[in-house]
Amino acid sequence: MTDGPARSPAPAANSTMRATLSRGIGLFALWIVLMPSAKPADLVVGALAAAGATWVSLRLLPPASGRVRFAALLALLPRFLWQSLLAGIDVARRAFAPRMRLAPGFVTYRTGFPRGQARNNFATITSLMPGSVPVGDGPDTIEFHCLDASQPVVEQMAEEERLLAKALVPGERHG
Amino acid sequence: MAEFLLGAAGFVLAMVALGLVRILRGPGDADRMMAAQLLGSGGIAALLLGGAAIGDDTVVDVSLTLALLAAFASIAFVQFAPPSSPGAPDDEERT
Amino acid sequence: MSTLVDLFSYVAIGAGAIFFLAGTVGLLRFPDTLTRLHALTKADNLGLGLVVLGLLPHVAGVLPALKLIAIWLLVLLSGADASQLIARAARRGEPRSRPGP
Repeated sequence: MTDGPARSPAPAANSTMRATLSRGIGLFALWIVLMPSAKPADLVVGALAAAGATWVSLRLLPPASGRVRFAALLALLPRFLWQSLLAGIDVARRAFAPRMRLAPGFVTYRTGFPRGQARNNFATITSLMPGSVPVGDGPDTIEFHCLDASQPVVEQMAEEERLLAKALVPGERHG
Repeated sequence: MAEFLLGAAGFVLAMVALGLVRILRGPGDADRMMAAQLLGSGGIAALLLGGAAIGDDTVVDVSLTLALLAAFASIAFVQFAPPSSPGAPDDEERT
Repeated sequence: MSTLVDLFSYVAIGAGAIFFLAGTVGLLRFPDTLTRLHALTKADNLGLGLVVLGLLPHVAGVLPALKLIAIWLLVLLSGADASQLIARAARRGEPRSRPGP
């Protein structure tokens, strides 16, 4: 229901091919990690499992729903881990404090990510941020529940969005 | 090191057990589901610690299975938990 | 050298255990459903992450280490998604979402 001009599904076949390949390779690599064995029989089973998993993932999450640039995401990984550490410390301090300093409330954040895969990924990543958990969304907003609603949550999320815009590519291209 | 790992496993398990009090107290189903989530992540930590303590690698596969089960349990809860007001569309802001 | 590695493990796993304690304390002490959700998503995931980090030096080889990390990522991501879904279910299910400020 957004403005979505739904422009040019042009290189659809191309992107499906690329998604199939990258997901297939990724899932097979995951199999190797989970089942470290070089026996041919195991590898055949792994290849079949990876092919099946790729097929299911293409059914459930078509390439047109958006994609993730893993290299860009990986570059942000240290930051996520650090934020996650801060978030845990924040919660622990509040939980252990004799008098809990809680000022919970909802903050509505206006996001540039259209509804869909990119926004879901954004919400998942922000749920690791200190002090806020995404709990709902509207056409172009995400609602966060905050332990301390007086914190500058909107500014914090805007910064995250700016950084993640390179890594999370929405489905319909907006320019 | 092994004693330390076992001790840590026991401690984490005790924390999970304590958290399960939330299942008794509720009040909502969501609160109970969170305690079940804790059973997932805490159980995995305890399994990994215990497995490392006794030097058994197969425990890692058990914890992997537990991780999958915990994920499915939450999805099942959200999918099948009875909504309070039937026919109500999406929740409005009620701050 | 190995004592240094052991020290690293002690610190990481000990810190992880403290975050599990924090998660449980938060789950029991925090006043309403959505604040309790914070305790769960932030503290426990970090606790498991630190435990995995502390165990990494003790596994033999790169693949088992990657396997541990894969388990942690699975728990982290599925937990983050599950907590959002639980939050929505909680707000749907409880008409009075929280006592006033």
